[in-house]
Order: sequence, then C-alpha cells, then structure tokens
Amino acid sequence: MSHYNREGLFNPAYHDSGTLEIDRSSSRKSDHYNPYDRDTEPWQRGVADWAPPEALPPYNEQGRYPWDSREENWRPTDNMAMDLLPQQNDSLRWQHNHGSVNYGYQTDSAVDYITAPQEQQAPWTPHMGETLRQRGTRKMSLFPGGGVALGRLGMTEEDVRDEIESGEQDLVKELFAMSSRDQIQAIRVLQMSLQNKRDIRRQVLACKSSKRGLKLTCLTDCTDQVSRSFRRFGANLVSVRQAMTLWRGTMKEIGGKFGTGVLSYFVFLKWLLMFNIFSFLVNFGFITVPQLVQLPNITDQMDFKGLELLTGAGYFNQTVLYYGGYSNETIGTQPTYDMQLAYFFTIAAYLVLCGFSLIYSMARSFQKNFVLSASGNAWCLLCSWDFSVTNEKAIRQRKNNLRIQLKESLSEKSQGDHMTMSEKFKQFGIHLGTWLISTGLAVASCTAIYFLCLDYLEAINNSESQDFSSLLKQASTLLLPFVVSLINLVIPLLYSLLNKIEKYSNPRTQIYVIILSVIGTKCLPSLGVPEFDIARNVLDLIYAQTLAWIGIYFSPLLPALQMIKLFITFYLKKVSLYQNCQPPRRSGRAAQMQTIFIALLFFPSFVGAMSMVAYTVWSLKPSKDCGPFQGLSTTFEAVALWMERLNIQNLPESMWAVWIYNNMIKSELFFYLISLIILVLIYFFWQVTQGRKLLISILREQIINEGKDKAFLLGKLQKLQKAKQTTASSQPAYTQMPQSYDRIQEIEPDYEQSLPSMPRTAEATGPNGPPITSALIQAMLARRQAEEDEEEGY
Amino acid sequence: MGNKQTIFTDEQLDAYQDCTFFTRKEILRLHGRYHELAPHLVPMDYTNDPDVKLPLALIVNMPELKENPFRSRIVESFSEDGEGNLCFNDFVDMFSVLSEMAPRELKAIYAFKIYDFNTDNFICKEDLEKTLNKLTREELTPEEVTLVCEKAIEEADLDGDSKLSFADFENMISRAPDFLSTFHIRI
Repeated sequence: MSHYNREGLFNPAYHDSGTLEIDRSSSRKSDHYNPYDRDTEPWQRGVADWAPPEALPPYNEQGRYPWDSREENWRPTDNMAMDLLPQQNDSLRWQHNHGSVNYGYQTDSAVDYITAPQEQQAPWTPHMGETLRQRGTRKMSLFPGGGVALGRLGMTEEDVRDEIESGEQDLVKELFAMSSRDQIQAIRVLQMSLQNKRDIRRQVLACKSSKRGLKLTCLTDCTDQVSRSFRRFGANLVSVRQAMTLWRGTMKEIGGKFGTGVLSYFVFLKWLLMFNIFSFLVNFGFITVPQLVQLPNITDQMDFKGLELLTGAGYFNQTVLYYGGYSNETIGTQPTYDMQLAYFFTIAAYLVLCGFSLIYSMARSFQKNFVLSASGNAWCLLCSWDFSVTNEKAIRQRKNNLRIQLKESLSEKSQGDHMTMSEKFKQFGIHLGTWLISTGLAVASCTAIYFLCLDYLEAINNSESQDFSSLLKQASTLLLPFVVSLINLVIPLLYSLLNKIEKYSNPRTQIYVIILSVIGTKCLPSLGVPEFDIARNVLDLIYAQTLAWIGIYFSPLLPALQMIKLFITFYLKKVSLYQNCQPPRRSGRAAQMQTIFIALLFFPSFVGAMSMVAYTVWSLKPSKDCGPFQGLSTTFEAVALWMERLNIQNLPESMWAVWIYNNMIKSELFFYLISLIILVLIYFFWQVTQGRKLLISILREQIINEGKDKAFLLGKLQKLQKAKQTTASSQPAYTQMPQSYDRIQEIEPDYEQSLPSMPRTAEATGPNGPPITSALIQAMLARRQAEEDEEEGY
Repeated sequence: MGNKQTIFTDEQLDAYQDCTFFTRKEILRLHGRYHELAPHLVPMDYTNDPDVKLPLALIVNMPELKENPFRSRIVESFSEDGEGNLCFNDFVDMFSVLSEMAPRELKAIYAFKIYDFNTDNFICKEDLEKTLNKLTREELTPEEVTLVCEKAIEEADLDGDSKLSFADFENMISRAPDFLSTFHIRI
C-alpha cells in the first residue's frame, strides 16, 4: 500500500504475479540454463570490475531486439518476462501489450518502469530493490521470474549480466545522489540479501570516492574519517542510551512470557513514571528550591510523631510538602522572585504542558492504532500470532486460545443471526438491569461518603472544645480514607459478579464495559490460576494519577510520592505476575488498548482534575493564615494585582504583558472567537474524513472490478485462441483446456519437462475465471502467432 | 571505539551497521550466538568472510525459535537456497528484519514469504490450511479447517481470485496495528 502511495505506478504485488514466475528452487537446476547458478555472480565482482555507467553498452543501443536474432532458441513455453524487457520494436511492443493485456495495469506499469527508470520521482527506490530481490528465493535476480526467463529466451549470459548490471547501476546512481543518512536508510530497507546490500554499499562508496578523486584527497580523507567516527560515536550513544533505559531487560522478559497485552500495562506504568519525574523536577526547581532558600516564618510548630507517616498531616503540614509551607513573600532583593506568582504559574504551566502532551500522545496513538480494526478469521490466522513469545507453556496456551477463539467464532457465525425476538429481549433486559444496579451502587457509595464527610467535619468542630488528645484526633483523620478504601474493595466485587451475568461477545466491548461501570474496579480472582487483569490494574494507575493531579495544587511535591509509589508498584506487580498469573486467554489488541488507556487518562482523569484545580483557583478563597495566597480573595487575584503593578510602573518592555492580559485573558470576545474558529475547523476536518471514507469504499470496489476484468479478459483471450486454432488447422474445436496442452506438446515435445512447477491440474482460481496458468499458454501462443504474422508481413 | 575485537574488521562492522538495524555490539553478540550453534564449524575470525553455512536443524534449535510454530519457514525464507542453510549474513539479516526497528513494509514482505508455503507468491487455501494446522496443533476437524480458511480468504481477498496476493496481505496488515510488535523476535 505504501508503495502505491509513494510511486503510484509500480505496485510490486501485481507486478509479481504468479503467472510470470516459474523457476523457484534450485532443484530444477538441471532442467534449464540458469546463469545464476554459479557461485560467482556478476555483482559480486569487486570494485575493480565495476565500470562506470557510460562504458557499458546500454541495452538500447543494440538496435535489435534480442528475440529477432535468436528466434530459433525461443521456446514458447518459456517464462515470459516479456513485460520486463525494453521495448525496441513497435510491433513487438504492440504484441507485448496485446499479449499482456490480460494482466492489465500490472505489467504496463512494469514496462513504464523499466523503460524510464530515470523519471521516477521518488529519490529512494524501494521498488528498484524489489526488482532486485526475487521473491520466493534469495537468489539475486533483476527481474522477478529471474534471469532464468531471459536465459530461456535464448539470451546469452552476457546479455543477462548486462541487464542486471544496468539495473544495479541505476540503483547505485540513485543511492549516490542522496545524503549519507538517507543512503543508509535506503540500503537498510532494500529487500535483498545482506551480501548484495553490502556490495551495493561498496559500489556506492567507491562511486563516491572516485568522484572525489579529483579533489584534494587529504581533505576528503579527513572528512571521511571524521564523518565515520561521528557515526560510530552516534551509534555508541544509541547503544549506551538503550542500555540505560529503565527496566529494559525486565520488560523484554515480560513481553516474551506474557505477550504484548500485559506488556502494555508496564509500558503505561513507565510512561506515567516519566510524567511524574518531569513534574517533580519542575515543581521542585521552581517552587521548592527558592522556598528552601528562605523558609517562611511559621508559628505554632508541631512535633513529629510517628503517625504522620500514615496520615501525611500534622508535622508535615508546615513543611514544603504542603501548600501551607509556602510564603507569599518575594524572595531576594535584586532580582526578586515573587513566590505567589511562581507558585501559581508553575502549577499552571505544568498542568497545561501535561494536557498538551496527553493530547499529542492520544492523537498520535489514535492515528496509528485505531484504523478500521481487522478482526475475523484472516486476522486470527495471519496477524495475531506473537512471534516474540518464547515460553513453551505460553505458546501452548496461546494455541489453545486461538483454537477456542476460532471455534467460538465459527459457532457464533452459525447461530448469531438466529436469535429470536424473545432472546434479544431477554438479553436487553439483563443488560438494562445490570446497568441500573451498577449505577445505583455508584450513586449510593458517593452519597454515603458525602454524608460521612459532613458528619465527620461536624464531629471535628465539636470536638475542638473538648479535651481530645491530638494523637486521637490525628488518628481519626484516617477514618475517611479507610471507609473509602473499604468501599473500593467491596463494590468492585459486586461489579464483577454482575459482569459474569452479562456476556458481551466482543472482548473490546467487555473491556469498555468494565472500565465504564466503575472507577477502580477490583476483580474477584477466579478460582484457579488468575490472569493478570489488565483493565483493573490500569484503572488503578489512572485513579492514582488522578488523585495526584488533583492534589498537586495543594501539595507541590506530591509527584515525588507518586514516583516512589510507581516504582514500588512496578516491582510488586512483576513479582505477582511471575508467581501467580498465567498468560491471558485472549490475544489482546495491545496497541488499541494503549490508545484506550491514554484516552482514559486524558479524558475523565486529567480534565476532571484540571477543572477542579481551575475551580479552586478561580473561585475559592485561599486560606487566610498560611500559604502563598494569604489575604487575597481568589488565587487568580495574584495575577491581576501583578498586572496592575506593571501597569502602574509603565515600563515599555512589560506593556505587552499587560496588553495580553487585558485583551486576551480578561476579554470574553477573544475566547468566543477562538471557540468559533475551532468549531469551524472541526467541522471541516470531519467532512474531509467522511469524504475519505467514501473514497476508500470506492477504491475497494474498483479493485474487485479490476479482478473481474482480468478474469473476463483471460476468458475472452482463451476463446479467441480456440477460434483461431479451429479456423487455422481446420480441426474440431478444442473446447477444453487439456487439449490445448496437447497441442502445445505437439509443437514442443519437452514442454512438460521445462515447466515442472506449473500446476497441472486445472486450478480454479475463482468462481468465474479460467486457470491462470492456461492464460500463460494462451498468451504465449498469441505472441507467437503475432510474430509469425509479422514475419509473413515482411 | 575500543577496537579490541578481532572477529571483524572495522569496515566489515561499518558495513553491517549500515546494512542492518543492528549496532556494532549487537552484531558481535550475534556472531557469538552464531558461533555457539556450531563452535567447530564457525570460525572466530570473520575478517576474510568465510563461506560457512549452518543447516536448518541447528538454527531452529535456538531458544528464540525453538517453540515458534513457523521456525522452519522463517529460516527457509531467509536462506539463499531456500532450504534453510544460513550463512552469517543471512543469519544477521533474519534477526535484523525481525527486530523492532525494521519498518513495516520490510516485515510485511517477509511475513508473506513465511506464510507462502509453496512459494508461488500467493497465499492460497492450502497455505492457509497449513498455517492453521501449525497454529492449532491440528486439533480442529478438517471441516472446521476448511471452513475457517474459506472465511479467511473471503475476508481478505480483494480482487476475487480466491487467493491472497501480496497486496491483499499488505492491506490486511495495514489494518492490524499490532503487527509491528507481534512480528518481532528478540535476540
């Protein structure tokens, strides 16, 4: 497909149709002359033998079409690489086109390619590489079908070699024209054997050095050395960086043993860890460090008691871990560092950056992974097998799973359409019932926590007057989190029970349902060996990260805690995985799952946290006694005051900031305009997408039609051939294919030996097409016929 | 940097590095793996590019390939003679294409080769049946096998010739975003 897009002309798939490729394995060496059966193949000659392009007689200059002089050697049963030879003779070209019309656009494009290799716009030639790599075996050949074809056509070794070389020279010329980085990239993706790639590379380098031979050799030597050592250095850097990648070996092991689905969880975990490291650094650098330089004057210091590690309050309240530990002063004399503004802008900038990076990852991941997802039998057979799994038990498990999956799909297909009305109704009722129950549970738990909170606050306020020891007071702050965790444990068990009642067929829907039904499900481990429940664990991660984001405004160093927690979680989960779990039953779509995780992280989690922080900043009155925003009516007022100060100072270099503030942030018109523009853009892109979908379906139909055309034209050619034979030889019409085989055998008695790989049975290739192999015979006959006619005409 | 090794010349290592997706260290490590498959056959000194080929039977016993149902096909597709005898170049090439840095197009071409059991440049029904048998340890009944393969061809065949050409295969691959990570062998 990419080739289609890139070149538009050359589609190797249709180029290499089976009709043209006969010779395959070396076992038939004895049957035909194969110039490639020698050990020293022409392109393996060293640099010394390589002649500059101009010296070799290009094929075009020969003046005569090779077949003309070697008519007697031409065997009509030979492989027809006719589409690949340069077109000299107009009549022959016509014959060729006529004979090859059955292959339609396939061979025409190949013809165009060979005769005009210089006109290709793509600077990089994967298609050239494809012609240089024969499909099927690794023999080097210029044309699919092999030089065998040309050999069979009676061309001598030298002609074949020249052909190959000219193709190679084109490749080398194109590679030479690129920059060295592009060269390396291009060589790497050539589809040749490694030996051939090395030779091509050597030729390119020799070309370079010969070109440079005219210039100062010393200087070019130096630059060569320098660039080479730079490249080596770069490669070493890459390998060092790879070695230092966190947890690389462990992830490889996990991927090998449990598959890419489970691996995606750990990749997600690592990604979150990187996120938190970044936020910790930002917050620490911009807020905490300046504060540490000049600690605020805190009255009423509390002592450190052991309980703080559990509650996180008490002593920690007055440290830099909390909002209260920051002052609202400006630090330093010249230049001054305003803590208020620093606090506000750092948090804001961090959240905005988070948002952008999430949107970017989500968009990219969506683009890559959420194409029309292939599913069904073909996908199961050809795309789903994970080659990276090496564990024997895991592989056995996967084979079983695949078998079960296929059996299920077979039985589903047979009965899926036969659900009666009552069954459908029943299923719908079950779905509805479970949805109601789950939402009811969620609402109930939310209200319970809410009332508990209220009661609790009341109790705290009342107890201030009594003589409560502070320890007990602190311990009682643990009550609320305890209740919440308990609910978190119990409710998901109920949900999993509900889940077992509902049976969703599509595993993806199943995952969606699990995720949507509650935040933070914990699954009841099934009896027996549990699986690693990816959905549940990912939700845990997302839940924790949401809390971290909500809390970041109130405790800037919360990311540090999150980092430690993620680190520990990784090792804990890894141990639990190895000890307890088996590989997952269904081969999960890891890439799509990754997209879903990120989308979940962004949409409810991040947006929710951000809106809460935004609400706090915009509307709530900050604490009067502590924290960086003491004395202001809202947090945002800090910025407003700052702008006023700038305005008063009236410095020309800061007036732009004031202008931006006044006209963009405070004015509603600006936001209105921006929203309008964005809406228009969205609509526009949506229409483009719709158009593209239509285009895809039209193109698909076109492919099907072309296939039908091909079959139809083959049939027609067949009929014409039959008719011609009937009139020419005045024999009874041959109505069946095997008879045309006999006819050819009359002409060429050893036809059968020279085409041993051609399937002898009349292979049905489709519901409406004659066997393709007979098409080959027809085409050959037609060509011979036309040639004879032409010669008579001379 | 640090030319302590005498297995390859610098130029050879540069060539390998430019032609495959591996770094110098990985190539040396690959040579070590190749050598330990047959220590008496494979020389430690490759500076003269010796012509040594290891047979299929040795290669498919590597731990990375041992349990893979397609191990013979993989090795055959990368061998020069189609019989599975790999020289070191082919060995490196094989793991380079199967590494995580190889692009999708290159992997698709070799995946097609692997699944094309009769090497006729089409994945026909027999090829699919063989694939299925390798994947399910032959525990499906023959009718089920035929049914599954027919359905598979129905789904994936675009031009209606009831076998999968490379274009059909590539189309299916493009709709399977996991392909890059599943068609991957770590070494």
